[in-house]
Amino acid sequence: MAISYKRNVAVFADTVGVDEAEGLLAWLHEHPKPKLDLGACTHIHAAPLQVLMAARLPVAKWPKDSPLTAWLNSALT
Amino acid sequence: MTPILQQFLSEARDFLQSISEKLLRLEKAPGDAELMSDLFRSVHTLKGNSGLFDFPEMTRVLHAAEDLMSVVREGQLGFSQDLADRLLEAMDFVALLLDELQSGAGGGAAHVQSSMRLAESLRALIVVVHGAADGPLPRAHTSGPAQEPVTLPLEAVPDGLLAAWREAAKAAAPLQWIIYTPAIDCFFKGEDPFHQARQTPGIVWQRISTRESWPALAELDPYQCVLRFDLVTDAARATLDEHFRYVPEQVAIVPLTQQSLDPALATAASVDGGPGPAASAPGSSTSSMVREILAAQAIALGLPDAVAWLPGRLRAIASTLAACSRSSGREDALPSLEAALALALTSNRAEPLHAWMSALGHAFAPPIAAPGTSSAEPSNPSIAAPNPSDPASGRGGEEIPATAVLKVEQGKIDRLMSLIGEMVVAKNGLPFLAARAESVYGVRELSREIKTQYAVINRIAEEMQDAIMQVRMMPVSGVFQRFPRLVRDISRKLGKEVLLTLEGEDTEADKNIIEALADPLIHIVRNSLDHGIETPELRRAAGKPAEGRLVIRASQDSGRVLIDISDDGKGIDPAVVKRKAYEKGIIDEAVLERISDQEAVNLVFAAGFSTAETVSDLSGRGVGMDVVRNAVERVNGSVALTSEKGKGTRLRLSLPLSMAVTNVMVIESNKQIFGVPMDLVLETVRIPRSAIRSIKNRQTIVLRNRILPLRSLNELLAEDLPQVSNELDEMATLVVQIHGESLGIVVDDFREVVDIILKPMGGILNAVPGYSGSALLGDGSVLMVLNPKELVTWQ
Repeated sequence: MAISYKRNVAVFADTVGVDEAEGLLAWLHEHPKPKLDLGACTHIHAAPLQVLMAARLPVAKWPKDSPLTAWLNSALT
Repeated sequence: MTPILQQFLSEARDFLQSISEKLLRLEKAPGDAELMSDLFRSVHTLKGNSGLFDFPEMTRVLHAAEDLMSVVREGQLGFSQDLADRLLEAMDFVALLLDELQSGAGGGAAHVQSSMRLAESLRALIVVVHGAADGPLPRAHTSGPAQEPVTLPLEAVPDGLLAAWREAAKAAAPLQWIIYTPAIDCFFKGEDPFHQARQTPGIVWQRISTRESWPALAELDPYQCVLRFDLVTDAARATLDEHFRYVPEQVAIVPLTQQSLDPALATAASVDGGPGPAASAPGSSTSSMVREILAAQAIALGLPDAVAWLPGRLRAIASTLAACSRSSGREDALPSLEAALALALTSNRAEPLHAWMSALGHAFAPPIAAPGTSSAEPSNPSIAAPNPSDPASGRGGEEIPATAVLKVEQGKIDRLMSLIGEMVVAKNGLPFLAARAESVYGVRELSREIKTQYAVINRIAEEMQDAIMQVRMMPVSGVFQRFPRLVRDISRKLGKEVLLTLEGEDTEADKNIIEALADPLIHIVRNSLDHGIETPELRRAAGKPAEGRLVIRASQDSGRVLIDISDDGKGIDPAVVKRKAYEKGIIDEAVLERISDQEAVNLVFAAGFSTAETVSDLSGRGVGMDVVRNAVERVNGSVALTSEKGKGTRLRLSLPLSMAVTNVMVIESNKQIFGVPMDLVLETVRIPRSAIRSIKNRQTIVLRNRILPLRSLNELLAEDLPQVSNELDEMATLVVQIHGESLGIVVDDFREVVDIILKPMGGILNAVPGYSGSALLGDGSVLMVLNPKELVTWQ
């Protein structure tokens, strides 16, 4: 699993694929104050990305991958 | 180029040919429903085939054509001239792409725009019918957001960057602003638009936003894509077209010119997803393009009116003009244009449109294209410029597409083959003629000239023969392809597990050789499966993997085709073979004692040999390997068998690449001439009669420290005559190789080596052993070609 859920933090690692979108959405429903850890993430498929954008989550840790951060900055802030 | 692509290209050409034929026939009989279905099927198949490859441009156009055909087939739209024109144009475009693929310039990305335009023009007809019938559109029409005027969200860009871009806009290569709005259902097509956007080359700035405001999380459907990507890159337009070639209708690319960067003018910036990077803000470049387009339309209007396709042409010109007025911001001119078109159509003349252009055309392309010049041009007959709005024009009927592959009936090739054979024989008559000219008529000069001429004809004939050989070459895959099934079925039946590996399937050889190969190969494979590879239990017990391996490998080696069939089965046990051969009376006790293991293994080729304990439907009838050997030797091939007990068996078939022309040495014996195939001849020696020693009844000679058995040809042919020696009392001896052993055949004299077309003996003579066949010589005499193998063993 590219996303591991730890209490109220969703930790993204490597490439997050299209099939993660639904799980992420369900997890967001159950956790009212979630946080995002994107540190080890290298790519997020557009579908889970949409979920993140719609949920307007605070990002606790931005990806080390700087081009990805540049993209996400515009979407998640 | 891969074989499958080659096949696609050749098939696609056939399809294009039949599609245009059917279109032309439909023009004469528009009501022919069957023909229409046929046409639909052709287009459908071609589209499907193109989908196997990475040609989105081709597939896009064909897809649109298919949609259109499907509407027509269902009777919702009548077949019309206009429709045929557009379809033909689309097919010309496909042919153009095929040509490029053939020549290896297989980009296609350069045609993204043309493919979009063609697909749209085809779909436009569907829209017309559905608009009229008030029915739903069959699929999402391509009118994506790309067609609408786009406002660049410059406010989202930091001021510092904007200033830098303004500077860059003054440079020759402007930055490009890309607005990428993926289709709403793109996730279901396996696309990742974010990945696509990230991979864009030369990104300078980027932003992800959404097309609509986000709903509450509970209502969010994550699999409906509503994202919008804005990015600015310094990559060239062509690179970007290539990058987005699969989704051109979802992308708008705006060059960042000074106008588009200036917020005051930015609102006016409109983007056209259609042809070329032409459409930016109405600037100097636009008006010059409009001018060019107008000039072209003027030429088109000046063409003669008396043609069947005039209405189509008028409509095309009118829509071009309409587009020009729109892009120049003169929508007010449109109603009058429509009126002019209607008038032109009813009167079947180009004049009303011409008048409209003269009156209004200059309004949106002011300075140079004065009405005077544009109306004067058509009267000038020397100008025959093609219509630039139609890039595919000129590919219609005039140009003959270059076909790379010809399908030829086999009989025709065979005829060519026998003709060249006769030609070779006739050619060989010339040296005889030259000799006669000199010896009989005493004209040495003429003899020399004939010889020179012969050299020329000889060279041409050899090249011709080589060319025809090339045509007859066939890959061995034709024979190989049946093995996977055969191996599967047999191994199932025997309860064995076998992994078959085929290698070198594209190795080529003459058609006859390939055909002659089929039966022996099947025999060998059956033998391997039946006797060679053990059952899984036995294999495991022997410490081998349960699955046996059978490898069939073809390769080419200096003029011969080698076919190796190897398995990792139990191999051949020399002891068992020896015992069986002895029991069946194939060898006697003396042989049994002194025969080597390798020789024993080769006993399996002896006639009537079988090791199988029981007769099954697969093998064990004793008609085994000797049949294989005979079949292979019939086409001048050879079989070699090596086997290691417990490790496996390997058979190597060595076959000539072609068998049409045989190289034979002519020898003389008992005042007759005979041919001996050159591939059997190791060397020719003249041995002094005194060197011949007799061992028991057999004559032998020591040649280079080895004992060489001698047989005289007269003896082999059952003629009771001694061989004739030359004046030095030397015997002409042909050293030949038979079944891996050397043998000296004593003859009367050697003659020359000739190329002949060997004709097998027919009818009753077929049963006479010792001869491979006969051939016609240049002087008209018949040469009997010996088969030394049969001759020696038959004795």
